[in-house]
Amino acid sequence: MGVFDNILYGFQVAFDPSNLLFCFIGVVVGTLVGVLPGIGPAGAIGLLLPATFRVSPTSGIIMLAGIYYGAMYGGSTTSILVNIPGEAASVVTCLDGYQMARQGRAGPALGIAAWGSFIAGTLSVIGLMLIANPLARVALRFGPPEYFALICTGLILVTYLSQGSILKALMMALVGILIGNIGLDLVNALPRFTFGITELEDGVGIVPLVMGLFGISEVLLNLEQNLDQREIFQTRIDHLWPSLKDWAEAKWAILRGSVIGFFLGILPGGGAVLSSFVSYAVEKKISKHPEKFGKGAIEGVAAPESANNSATGGSLIPLVSLGIPANPAMAMLFSALIIYGIQPGPLFIKNNPDLFWGLVASMYLGNGLLLLLNLPMIGIWVQVLKVPYRILFPLILLFCLIGAYSVNNSAFDLFLMILFGMLGYLMKKFVYDAAPLVLAFVLGPILEQSLRRSLMISGGSFTIFITRPIACFTLGFAFLLLLSNIFPYIKKRRHEYREFEE
Amino acid sequence: MAQVDLKIVKAHDQISSLFWLLLSIYASIESLRMGIGTFHKPGMGFMTFWASVLLGTLSLALFIQVTLKSEPAKTSPLFAGKLWKRVFLALTALLIYAKLMPVAGYLLSTFLLMSFLFWIVRGKKWWWVLISSSLTTLITYYVFSVWLKGQFPGGLFSF
Repeated sequence: MGVFDNILYGFQVAFDPSNLLFCFIGVVVGTLVGVLPGIGPAGAIGLLLPATFRVSPTSGIIMLAGIYYGAMYGGSTTSILVNIPGEAASVVTCLDGYQMARQGRAGPALGIAAWGSFIAGTLSVIGLMLIANPLARVALRFGPPEYFALICTGLILVTYLSQGSILKALMMALVGILIGNIGLDLVNALPRFTFGITELEDGVGIVPLVMGLFGISEVLLNLEQNLDQREIFQTRIDHLWPSLKDWAEAKWAILRGSVIGFFLGILPGGGAVLSSFVSYAVEKKISKHPEKFGKGAIEGVAAPESANNSATGGSLIPLVSLGIPANPAMAMLFSALIIYGIQPGPLFIKNNPDLFWGLVASMYLGNGLLLLLNLPMIGIWVQVLKVPYRILFPLILLFCLIGAYSVNNSAFDLFLMILFGMLGYLMKKFVYDAAPLVLAFVLGPILEQSLRRSLMISGGSFTIFITRPIACFTLGFAFLLLLSNIFPYIKKRRHEYREFEE
Repeated sequence: MAQVDLKIVKAHDQISSLFWLLLSIYASIESLRMGIGTFHKPGMGFMTFWASVLLGTLSLALFIQVTLKSEPAKTSPLFAGKLWKRVFLALTALLIYAKLMPVAGYLLSTFLLMSFLFWIVRGKKWWWVLISSSLTTLITYYVFSVWLKGQFPGGLFSF
């Protein structure tokens, strides 16, 4: 079957009433998560994951993916109207979006954010459709050394693209590998780092980990601040359909944002946050009027909002074709697939055509639904924004508790989540990024398996990683990435030393 | 002021790097105990041993880097103001909830937790707290237990 036949089949799956309903629930919850600060898409996926155990995997994945890309739409609303990003990927939208609102142009800002998101989201789904399948076919030739090299490179990319210190990000990736190895050893079935606790023999669950690191820690951090300080900018929200002048100014920004977002989304650690920053920086750089940025330039809203939506489609590519999640939300989808008994990787599309093509088609539909949810119904989301945080935070905590408990019906998972909540809270205080930890946690066991198998194949020789071209090239790239960090550091130190001598 | 900030940053990173260093030492000893095997036949402690050795090395590098750093940086103290007490209270409540829920059941323990959490941020009357907590508990119970068929402990209400 060609791509066209496949996508027609996908629409048949997506138009199934239950799939359509779950797609709708997913995008509504996603928008809500995007609008409200605190839980984030990865946490929301974790919360609703147990609820999908009683539906088909296709419906479940359609809903969970809807939460992810829906959150990108919702995040812009708070950025534009409150100057507080509901989602990390919408931080940069505050710069020009809020200024537009202050100038009485909240409508066009929200409009261009929604239309840009729609266009970019649709383009990225087309990219996903065209790239994922050929890449999966190439990946079928990958053996343990190639997987080891790919995961190593992925983890180094995550740390390279992480916010803050690369050294700290690398450390977090290693901590993630250690946590991922808690439980029974896959070869000997003997316990590792379980401290005699039976519940730990199955390993640490991703839901308590993600909800603790992202959900609980965020609430704890917010509790330290004066609650309800946010003020919604009082303005009339009209002219949601941008004018021809607005379109003329924003059209190339949307297209560039879509391309940047898509390709950065594919990279492990890239994702929506990085792509929104990069696209904003590119627009400012190539603009004839860079001085307008930060003062209400419509391109400053269109580019990052397009980029963060486009990144969602891009980030699905490594998951469905290589079995490597690119960010924490994708790590949750990865775990969801494992729980459903589906192995993400090169055979995923071949073995699960209904799920993959149904998901692709549902993303087209979901983008359309989001446009309807975010433009005519913007008033509802503005009302949601008015819910005071002192009411919101107990609810977020309760939802985290329910989500963590429901996966295994285990009170032990509650303790784990609270423990990771404390760890995440302290990590935020000490400026450590949690994303490398989560990705390494998910990829750690695969990394270990690949390494052990590679060494067994080669009879204990590490040359297997050099003699296999893909592994050699990939590891070489990772090595260059690491060196690119060290050289500026050495240069800086030498410069300081010379200054000191003088 | 810059000097004070620099000291704070240094202290933060020094403490955290030492924590990770200690963790890496523990993990590497434990990995050795499990058996790291050989390159030909790696044991179950192989991966964790090398991961913890790397973690230890990087922690040490961070510690040295921060200690030798001379440039000023801006930051705030870890627990500024008095509101961090709310964090402590919320965490204690969550821990008690995790312990209490299997015994007392979802309805009672959730009602108590919600009442406490709504109460600690003040600004509301006691009747408002009680009504909101009851509604939250009942609605979430209905949605997650009855509608989505989640299995919550009945506790005192399991009859």
